[in-house]
Amino acid sequence: MHKEASIREPLVLGTPTYSDITNEVLHTIENKPTKLWKLLMVIATIIALWGVGCILYLLGVGIGSWGLNKTVGWAWDITNFVWWVGIGHAGTLISAVLLLFRQKWRMAINRPAEAMTIFAVFMAGLFPMIHMGRIWMAYWVLPIPNQFGSLWVNFNSPLLWDVFAISTYLSVSLVFWYIGLIPDFATIRDRASRPVQKLMYGLMAFGWSGNAKAWQRFEEVSLVLAGLATPLVFSVHSIVSMDFATSVIPGWHTTIFPPYFVAGAVFSGFAMVQTLMLIVRKVMHLEKYVTIKHIEYMNLVIIVTGSIVGVAYLTELFISYYSGVEYESYAFINRFSGPYAWAYWCMMTCNVVSPHLFWSKKLRTNLAFTFFMSIIVNIGMWFERFVIIVTSIHRDYLPSSWSMFYPTWVDIGIFVGTLGIFSVFYLLFLKYFPVLAFNEVKTILKSSGEQYKNMSDEEFKKLHPVKK
Amino acid sequence: MANSTKYWKGLEQLDNDSSFVDANKNEFAEDLPVADFLQDQETLEGGSTSRRDFLKYLGFGVAAASLAACETPVTKAIPYLNKPEEVTPGVANFYASTYYDGSDYCPVLVKTREGRPIFVKGNSASTLTHGEVNARVNASVLSLYDNNRLKSPMIGGKATTWASIDNRLTKELKEAKNLKVLTHSLISPSTKSILDGFANGSNLMSEDAEVNPVSMANNVVSYDAISYSGILDANEGSFNKRVLPTYNFAAAKSVVSVGADFLSGWLDALQYNVGYTSTRNPEGEWMSKHYQFESNMSLTGTNADVRVPIKPSEMGGVIAAIYNGVAAKVGGASVKGATKNYTVRVKSAVAHLLANKGESIVVCGSNDSNVQTLVNGLNNMLGNYGKTINIDKASHSKQGSDAKVAALIKEMESGKVDALLIYGVDPVYTLGDRFKKALGKVKTTVSFATKMDDTASACKFVCPDNHWLESWNDANPVDGHYSLGQPTISPLFDTRQAQESILKWSGNNASYYDFIKAEWEQNIFPKSGAVMFADFWNKVLHDGVVEVAAAPVAEEVMPIAFAGDVNAAGNAVAKIKGSGTELMLYIKEGIGNGVGADNPILQELPDPVSKITWDNYVTMNPAEMKEAGYNTVLGQENPANLLSVTVNGKSLELPVIGQPGQARGTIGIALGYGKSVGKMTEPTGKNAYPFVGIDKKGNVSYVANATVTAVEGEYPIAATQTHQTVMGRDSIIRETTLDVFKNGTKDDYNPAFTLLSGKTDEHGHQKAKPIKEFDLWGDHPVKEVGHRWGMSIDMNLCTGCGACITACNVENNVPVVGKDEVRRGREMHWLRIDRYYSSEHEPLAAIGDTHGATMEASETGAIGAYTEMENPADNPRVVHQPMMCQHCNHAGCETVCPVAATTHSNEGLNMMAYNRCIGTRYCANNCAYKVRRFNWFNYMAYSKFSEINPSQDDLGRMVLNPDVVVRARGVMEKCSLCVQNIQAGKLEAKKAGTPVVDGSIQTACSSACGSGAIVFGDLNDKESAARSGMDNDRAYRVIEEVGQDTNIYYQTKVRNLKQNEA
Repeated sequence: MHKEASIREPLVLGTPTYSDITNEVLHTIENKPTKLWKLLMVIATIIALWGVGCILYLLGVGIGSWGLNKTVGWAWDITNFVWWVGIGHAGTLISAVLLLFRQKWRMAINRPAEAMTIFAVFMAGLFPMIHMGRIWMAYWVLPIPNQFGSLWVNFNSPLLWDVFAISTYLSVSLVFWYIGLIPDFATIRDRASRPVQKLMYGLMAFGWSGNAKAWQRFEEVSLVLAGLATPLVFSVHSIVSMDFATSVIPGWHTTIFPPYFVAGAVFSGFAMVQTLMLIVRKVMHLEKYVTIKHIEYMNLVIIVTGSIVGVAYLTELFISYYSGVEYESYAFINRFSGPYAWAYWCMMTCNVVSPHLFWSKKLRTNLAFTFFMSIIVNIGMWFERFVIIVTSIHRDYLPSSWSMFYPTWVDIGIFVGTLGIFSVFYLLFLKYFPVLAFNEVKTILKSSGEQYKNMSDEEFKKLHPVKK
Repeated sequence: MANSTKYWKGLEQLDNDSSFVDANKNEFAEDLPVADFLQDQETLEGGSTSRRDFLKYLGFGVAAASLAACETPVTKAIPYLNKPEEVTPGVANFYASTYYDGSDYCPVLVKTREGRPIFVKGNSASTLTHGEVNARVNASVLSLYDNNRLKSPMIGGKATTWASIDNRLTKELKEAKNLKVLTHSLISPSTKSILDGFANGSNLMSEDAEVNPVSMANNVVSYDAISYSGILDANEGSFNKRVLPTYNFAAAKSVVSVGADFLSGWLDALQYNVGYTSTRNPEGEWMSKHYQFESNMSLTGTNADVRVPIKPSEMGGVIAAIYNGVAAKVGGASVKGATKNYTVRVKSAVAHLLANKGESIVVCGSNDSNVQTLVNGLNNMLGNYGKTINIDKASHSKQGSDAKVAALIKEMESGKVDALLIYGVDPVYTLGDRFKKALGKVKTTVSFATKMDDTASACKFVCPDNHWLESWNDANPVDGHYSLGQPTISPLFDTRQAQESILKWSGNNASYYDFIKAEWEQNIFPKSGAVMFADFWNKVLHDGVVEVAAAPVAEEVMPIAFAGDVNAAGNAVAKIKGSGTELMLYIKEGIGNGVGADNPILQELPDPVSKITWDNYVTMNPAEMKEAGYNTVLGQENPANLLSVTVNGKSLELPVIGQPGQARGTIGIALGYGKSVGKMTEPTGKNAYPFVGIDKKGNVSYVANATVTAVEGEYPIAATQTHQTVMGRDSIIRETTLDVFKNGTKDDYNPAFTLLSGKTDEHGHQKAKPIKEFDLWGDHPVKEVGHRWGMSIDMNLCTGCGACITACNVENNVPVVGKDEVRRGREMHWLRIDRYYSSEHEPLAAIGDTHGATMEASETGAIGAYTEMENPADNPRVVHQPMMCQHCNHAGCETVCPVAATTHSNEGLNMMAYNRCIGTRYCANNCAYKVRRFNWFNYMAYSKFSEINPSQDDLGRMVLNPDVVVRARGVMEKCSLCVQNIQAGKLEAKKAGTPVVDGSIQTACSSACGSGAIVFGDLNDKESAARSGMDNDRAYRVIEEVGQDTNIYYQTKVRNLKQNEA
C-alpha cells in the first residue's frame, strides 16, 4: 500500500488527468517543430560543425595544433574530459540512487537528466580518443586478442581503467535510460498516425504490450539496473581521479581524490541538470511536473556536494602544508599564488563560496538565481579540473622545465564544439523523445476523484464525450 | 635476314577468295545473334544476368580497376654488384680526419654508414684535444648534406663548367699584376705551400716571375673573422714572435681571466677545455681556483669560482691592478691605468696568483695590444712562461693582422688590386659595406665559398670548394702537431677543392692528395724519425694525428726574454675610457663567428647561458631592465622588448633579455647572426659585425660605447628554459664549497635522502629511514645481475658547452623544430643542460633542510620566499646539469602507459617502443624529470617544418642514422642511452668472446664530452668508471626521495671557495 503523509506537497502540481500528461508531454513529438527549436537547432548545428571541423583539423595536422608543450602534456583535452564525465554523473545518480532510495520526485527529472548523462559521456569519451597522438591505433587500449605477439594492455595504467570504467558506465547508463523509454515509446507508437512515425517508435518500443507482466518485469529490470548503476556512479569518477592520484606529480598524487572527484562530479552534474531543466521547463511548459520543489531539492544537493568539495580543497591545502614535503607544499602555494592563481581563485569563488548562497531559501527557490548559479558552478568545476591538471604539471619537480600553457583556437574550438554537439543531441532528444517519463509520472499522480465531484455535467461531458 | 616464311591459317586464307575476305571483316567468325537476343523478350528477362548483376559487375570492375591503379610506389633497394671492400651494409666504418673552419681545429673520427658520413666524434689520439669536440664540429656533418650548397661553379651568378672557369681564370690571373689572396688563418702546411707558390707567382708565371716579385707575406693576407691581432701584436712586442702561445691549463692552479671566454670562443677553446676541467676535480690533489672578471655572463664565467662583473672599458684597468698587486710583491714597478674598483676581488686574485707562481695563467679577452702586453708582463712576473704558457710551442690557428687587412682594403679601394682570391672567409659579411665597395674595384674576384654567402654573391667567379668531409687536407695547428684530413665521401656536387683549383690555375695538374703526400714526404716525414714513408703515411692516415719533434728547443738555454714595454702599455690603458652604455660583442658556442649560422641544429642549440635559440639579442642586467621598464621574464606569450642599439652611427633593432650577472651599464650582443638558415627566406638574428670597431690603424675592437633606446614593438624569444633558479631544491642540485668537501663528511655536503618513518624514538622524534625502505616495489632484478647501464655525471666537470646536445641530435635523428615551436616549449632535444642561477634568497648553507630554512628566510613567509627565489641574484653562481632520461628502475612512465609502449629492459634501460605508442602523453606528464618529447607534428613532412627541417629533402635525409628509427607523428620519444651503440658493443664483445670492456660502449653524449663529465657504463661492473662515480661520496640522484630508483648518478658540485666566501 502506498501511503503519503498528508502534509507532503504533491509532486505534480494541479490536477492533470492521465491523458493530460500524455498530451502535454507528447505535444512536441506529435507536432511540427517550433520556430524556437529550429533556431536553436541551427545555432547548435553551426557550433557543432565548427567543433567537428576543429577536430578534423586536429586529426589532420597533429596534437601540436593544441597549445600543449613538453611540460604540459594534458590541458584542455583532459580538463574537458573530466568536466564532461563529471556532468554525466547526475543522470544516473538521479535515476539509480534516488530510485533505490524511493525518492519519487526524481521521476520528473530523471529522463532529461539521464539524456544529459548519455550525451555528456559521449562528449567525455571523445576527448580521450582525440587526445591520442595516433587515434588510428586507439583500439590498442582494448584487451582484444591480437597478432602482435604477446602484446597485451598494461593493467597497471589508470588510463586503461578509464577505458573500462567509462565504457561500462556508458553502456549501463544507456541501457537503463533505454529501458525506461520503452513504455513511453509504446504510447507514442499507439498514438502515432503517420506510418513512418508509427514504424520507428514501434521498433524502438520493442513490442511493448503494457500488460501487467510487462510492467512487473519493467520494474524489476529497473531495480536491478539501478543496483548495477549505483556503484558505477561512484566508480567512474573515482577511477578518473586515479589518473591523477596514482601519478608522482605533486598536486596530482593525492589520496583524497576519489571521494573528492565524486562529490565534484555530482556537484557539477546537478548544476548542469539545473541549467538544462530550467530552460526545458520554461520552453516546454513543464512547470506542473518540474516544480520549485524539484529545483530546491537539487539546490540542496548542490550545497551538500559543494561543501564536500570545499572541505576537500581545504584538506588538500592543509595536508600540503602539514606533509612538509617541499614539492607538495610548493605545488599548492603555486596554485594560489603562482601564475595561475586567477584560475584557482575563480575555482574557489565559484565552487566553494557561491553554493553557500543557497542556504537562503529565498535564493534557492528563485529560478533566475538558480539558473545563474548553475552556470557559475559549471564554470567553477571546469576551472577545478584545469587547476588540478595544468597548475600541477606546469611547475613540477625540475624548475628548468617549468612552463605555461596557452590554449590555441583549436583547443577552444573543440571545447565550444562539444557544447554544440551536445546541444544538437539534446535538442533532438527534446523533439523526438518523451521528455518526461510520463508513464512513471502517472504513478505519482494524486487521483482522488475530488475534481470530478466539483465538476458540472457539461464539463464532464466535454471531458468524456459519450460515443453513440 | 628476317624469316619470310609465311604460315596460312587455312586454305581459305591461301585462296583469299571473296567469302574469306568478307568473313575476315567481322571480328567474330560466327554470326552473333545480337538482334535475336535483344528482340526475344523472354530470353532477355529469363537470363541469369539481371540489370542489378550487371551494375554489380560494373561496380566491381571499376573498383577493382581503380584499386589496381592505386598500387603503392615500389622503392627498390639495389644490392651492390661489386661490393666495395670496406663497406658492409649495417656496419659502420670510422675514418680519422681533421676539422678546421678557420678558427677551430679538431682532429676527429668520422663515422660512415654505407659510404655516408653520419657522425663526427673527437679523435682521442690527439694530445691537443684529447677527443674533445664542440657543438660546431659535431653538427658540421649536417652541412655536408645542405641543399643550399653551391652545386656547380659560377661566373657572374650563372652556373658554368669547371673547364670554362679554368680557361678564363688562368688567363685573367696571369694578366693580374697585383694578385692577393684573402684567407682564414692557414694551418695546413700544404695549402700554405700552394698559396705561397701561387701568390708569389712561382707556379703561375714561372716564365715572367719578375713581373710579380712581391713576397708571399704581402700577397696572402690572413684574416680572422674574430681578430686576435692584439695578442699577436703584443707577443711580437714582448717576445719578438708574432705567434700565439699554447696554454697548459692542466697545470694551472690559479686561473684569472679578464673577459676571456677561454672555454667557449676564445682562441683555441677546444684545446683548453680538457686541461681546464682536469683541474676541477675536487677529489684530486688540488683543485684550481678560477677568477673571472667580465661584463657579459660567458660560458667560462658560469664555471668560475669567483666571478666579478666589470665594464669592458675596465678590462685593462683590472689587468693593471692585478699587475700592480703582483708587482708589489715580486718587486716590480707598478704601471698606470689600474682601476680602483673591485679591490677585494682583485686582492684575492692577486694573493692566489702569488701563491701559485709558475702554476697560474692570466688571460684576457681584449683585442688591445696594450692590455695584452700587460697580461704578458703579468704572466712573466708570475713565472708562467715555460710552465703553463709556452710561447715556443706556438699555436697557428689565429694569424690575422688587423693592420694588414686594413692595408689590403685600402689597396683595393685605390684600385691597385687586380685579382683577389677569397678562401674560407666571408669578409663582405664580417667587414661590411666598406669591403664590398672595395671588392667592386677589383677586376677579378674569386670566391671559394661552399655556399652563396655575402662575399660569393659579390664575386665574379665562384669556385665552390668541397665540404671538409669531401676533402683531403692536412693541419699543423701547434708546433710539432700534425694531422691529416681525408675525404669520407665523394663530392656530392660539381665542386672542386680550392687547393686543387689553385694548383690547376698554376698549371700544376697534380691532385691535392698527391701534393699533400709529396709535401709530407719532403717536410714532415724527415722530422718524424720513421723509416719508411709509406708506413708513416699509412699510420698517420689511420691515426689522424702525429706528433713530430718541433724545431729543437732546449728549454734550459732559452730563457723567456720578456721585452714588452709595460709602462707604455699602462699609460695607454690609463687612457681607455668608456662612456654611456658599454657594448661587449661576443660569440656563442653554437654559432661561433658565423660558421654555424646556417646550420639548423646549431641554431636550435640553446645558448649555454641564456638558453635562447635561433636569435641574437641584447643582454642586459635585469635590475637595469626593471628600472627602464623592460620585460625581464620571458615566455611563450611574454615577448621581449625591442631596443635600438646605436654604435658609431650604425643602428640595430634587437630584442633585449635579462642576463643575470651582466655588469651594470653594459650590454652584450652576439656576433655571427643575420644569415639565413636552410630554406628560410628570413635571416635569423641580426648581423652585429658593423658594431665591431676599427680604428684608423685598422685595429679591431669588440668593445664599443653604445646608445640604447627603447623602440616600439615586441619580439618573441624562443628559449628552452624560462625559469632560471632552482628554487632552493637541494635534491636537484647539490653543491658545496671545497673546504666543506675536504674537511667535512658526506653528511655535510651530500646527506643521504631519508624520510620520516612515522615511528618515534625514545625522545618522541620521528626516526628517519632511507628512501629505499619506503619503496612500493621490490628491487628491480637488474641490480647486480647482468648489465645495468647507467651514467655518472660530474657537475664539476660539466662546463655546459652543449656538445653533447648536438651529438645526441645527430646520433638519434632528433628533428629540428624551429623557433616558433621552441617558443612553444616543444624542442625535441633528448638531452638538455639545465642551467640554474643562484638566487639571493636561496638558503645556500642550509643543505638538507631547505624547506625549513626557506620558511624562515623570508619576512614575507613561505609564499614571499618562493616568489623571491624566482629571481636570480644580481651576480649569480651558475650550475649546469645535463638532464636526460634517468632510466628509472621504478619508472613513473612505465606504469601509466595503457598499451605498455614504454617498458623496462633487463639491463636497466627504460625502453620506448615507438611503434606501440598511441600518444596519450601520460608518460610525459608522469615523468618527474620532464625528459620525454612528443612528436606534435609530422616533422618529416608537415609544411610548417619544410624550411627548417633538413630531413624533409632527400639530400638532408642522408645524414640520418640508419640505426635509429625516425619517429612518426603522435608518438613519444626520449633518450635511449644510445641503445643502438649498446647493442653493437655487446655484439662486438660476443664475437670476441669477452665480457664488455668498460668504455668500449659510448653514448653520443659521453663520446662528445671531452671533459669526462658524462661517463657511461655498466653499473653492475664494479670496475667500471660509471660504477666508481656511483659509489663516490659526491654521488646523488636527482629527486631521489620520489623513489624512482634512477640509473643516472650526479656528482655534487664543489666550488673552490670557503664556506662563507662571497
